[in-house]
Order: sequence, then structure tokens, then C-alpha cells
Amino acid sequence: MGDQVRIKQENPVGNPRTPKHIRGKKGVIVALHGVIPNPQDHRGLYSPLYTVLFDVKEIFGGSSHDKHRVDVHEEWLEAE
Amino acid sequence: MAKNRKAAKPHMHDHEVHVRAVEEDLEYYRTKRFEPRVIYFARRGAVTFYDLLKANPSPKHTVKPSKARKGMEARIRALEDGLDDYVRGFGLVSSLPVKGIEMVIEDTRKERGDYDDFFRIAKKEHDGTLEQRIARLERDLRDCKTLLDAFAQALLRKGLIDQKEFRRRQEALSAETEWSGGRIVARAWVDPEFKANLIATGRQAVRELGIPPGRLGKLGVVENTESVHNIVVCTLCSCYPHDLLGDTPWWYKHDSYKQRIIRDPRGTLEAMFHLRIPPSVEIRVHDSTSDVRYMVLPQRPPDTEEISEEELAKLVTIDSLIGAGDALHPSRRKEAERTERVRPVYA
Repeated sequence: MGDQVRIKQENPVGNPRTPKHIRGKKGVIVALHGVIPNPQDHRGLYSPLYTVLFDVKEIFGGSSHDKHRVDVHEEWLEAE
Repeated sequence: MAKNRKAAKPHMHDHEVHVRAVEEDLEYYRTKRFEPRVIYFARRGAVTFYDLLKANPSPKHTVKPSKARKGMEARIRALEDGLDDYVRGFGLVSSLPVKGIEMVIEDTRKERGDYDDFFRIAKKEHDGTLEQRIARLERDLRDCKTLLDAFAQALLRKGLIDQKEFRRRQEALSAETEWSGGRIVARAWVDPEFKANLIATGRQAVRELGIPPGRLGKLGVVENTESVHNIVVCTLCSCYPHDLLGDTPWWYKHDSYKQRIIRDPRGTLEAMFHLRIPPSVEIRVHDSTSDVRYMVLPQRPPDTEEISEEELAKLVTIDSLIGAGDALHPSRRKEAERTERVRPVYA
């Protein structure tokens, strides 16, 4: 919690489960959800899920003070 | 495609908005939910194209000659009701366990081309006059229902779904129930312990109200306050806790909303939803994945101290659970009555 992270800049084939616009951007972890079984949605389990807080400014530029909270899986996070 | 259209709540004096909503919704259910399922089943030999051709045409879907005499508003309402039937029918068929086939939502995403354009299903043109668009929708909806019938018939005929269970769920669907979304929010407004439990434990908390918690991952509950306004989006697809709260409006699943709300949340709330958030209030955009699906807990409207919990539930709108609107002031309740169409998804 409270760790600064950067989202990896990658373009995998298949389901990325991570939006393009946050790749390469910096944010702060604000929640830990862990591994979530969801058999109705997908087979197997994904890596632990975190909520990362970004400034809209940081992602899209401009002067907004608004925020994004994006749920991102662990394998997409790099320590900053 | 991303023109500057109002996605605000439709009033029947704006027929075009209603027609557009039916077009977009039908297209979503056809190209993103139902046809991918049909293709998946055909690939695996469970329900082949030949099985579908063997279906008996359902008499209720034949053309009624008196249709041309109805007014535009009546035809639009009939389309909306017909679309609701189609969506419920689809919900029912896709909720039943199928012998030998286990399809998960991720399979649908693959099958409809979310990760590979090769698999995308073509959309239709929705051009022409309003009258032409309505006539096209009447034909298309009929065709969609015919295919859905054929699919259900094939599943039953081949013994792939259980007839008794099918009937049982069909009856359960037609029973009138209160919308869970309204009940959950109203209880959170009157009972601080319930609210705390809802925020902390999500789905498990709603069992207290006799509402089945559902299984689609975790429920994230984000509370609107004097200093924070929350809005939900799923930029990758259209994830939402629909098994608990019902269907989202068509615009939630549409690229025009998804692209705009992330780039300019404040401007988009105002332009698309006429919701002006004061500069002192922070806007938080929650971008969901399929595993944690978010619900906004709107603020309790003013002048509601004397109102019963049951009446409070009626002030909650679908938009307010996404963050595209506030809960209604009691004076606006009548206005919302006929414009909200809550469509629970049988999960």
C-alpha cells in the first residue's frame, strides 16, 4: 500500500486485462484485492489485483485535478 | 460513430433518443452476447447450424398487419418491451447449465473479437428516417427472437438443457420483484451498520436483504460524499456487477462513453449527462476489471428525512449507481417513472 509503481509498457497478444492508456504511466497503490476466483468469468486464477491511483493529468495531460483508480494485476506493475 | 449525442435519460418527446437506445442495445446483445455464443456452440458441434434450421417457427413472431396503424410512440414502446423480452430470454437460455459445454464470459470476449478483430461480428447501418429505422428494428428484433427460439428449441430437443429447470426459471423471471439496486442503496442510507458492512464486504452484505449475492467476482462499493464524486467505467469491455444490480444502459458499453469519460471526466459528465460537479469536488473514475466490479453509492437526496425505506428505494436510478447521475429528489420521482427501464439479468 502506498507504493509508487509504473505500469509496464507491453503489448501482449490476447487479453491484456490492462488498458493501453496507463501503460508506462506512474501511479500509487491504494488497495490490495489479492487473488480473486471468478469461475463464471474466466477459468483459472490471475495474479493478485491492485487498485492503482493515477492523476488524469499524468495520463492525458491538461490541468484536471481528477483521479483514475484502475485495477491492475501484479504482473503489470514495476516498482518506481 | 462518436457524435455528440445526448446519452441523458430519454424523454418520450425525444423519439430519436429512444430509437437510438434500442438500436445500440439490440446490436450489443446480438453481436457481443448472443451470436458469439451460437458460434461457440456450433464450433463444438453442440448446436450446429443445421440444428438451428430444423426449428419450428414461433407463431408469435409472424408479422401482424395492424402494426402500420399504431402511432410512433406506441411502436417505440413495443420495441422496448420486445427488446426486454429478448434480453430476458437470452439471459434465461445462457444461465442454464448445458450438457458437455462449459462456456465462461472470457470465451465470449474471444469469440466476439475483443482481442482479435478477425472475430468481430459486423454491425448494421442505422440510417434513414425515424420511420425507416423503426421498421428496420421491428424486422430485426423479430429475426433475433426467431434465432433465439431456434437455439433454445435445439438445446431442449437434443436434451442439452433440462426442460423442467428451463420452465422453472422462466416462471421465476416473470415474477415481479423490487429492483435490488434501489433496495441496497435505501438500506445503506437508513442503516449505517449495513452501509459499513456493504463497503467492507461487498456482495456478502446483501444477503441480509434476502438478495442472492451472485458470484461475479468481488463487489467494490464507492461512496459519493461532499468532496468526492465517483464514476464507473470498464474501458476494456463493459464489466459491471449486473448479476446483482441489473443491466447497464446501452451507453455504458459504447466506445463514445468509454473514451470520453477517461479523458475528460468532468466535461463528459456535463456534456453527456447534464451533471455539473462543483470544482471543489474531486471526480474519481473507477476503471473495472472483470474481477472487482464497482457500484457507486449515491448521496441521499435532501428533503428525504420523512420518507420510508421503500420510497427511498424508488429515488435510486441506474445512472446513479454508475455515477452518471445523482439519486432523485422526491419531486422528480414521477418524471423518472416511465423513463427508467430496469432489466435484471438472470445469472
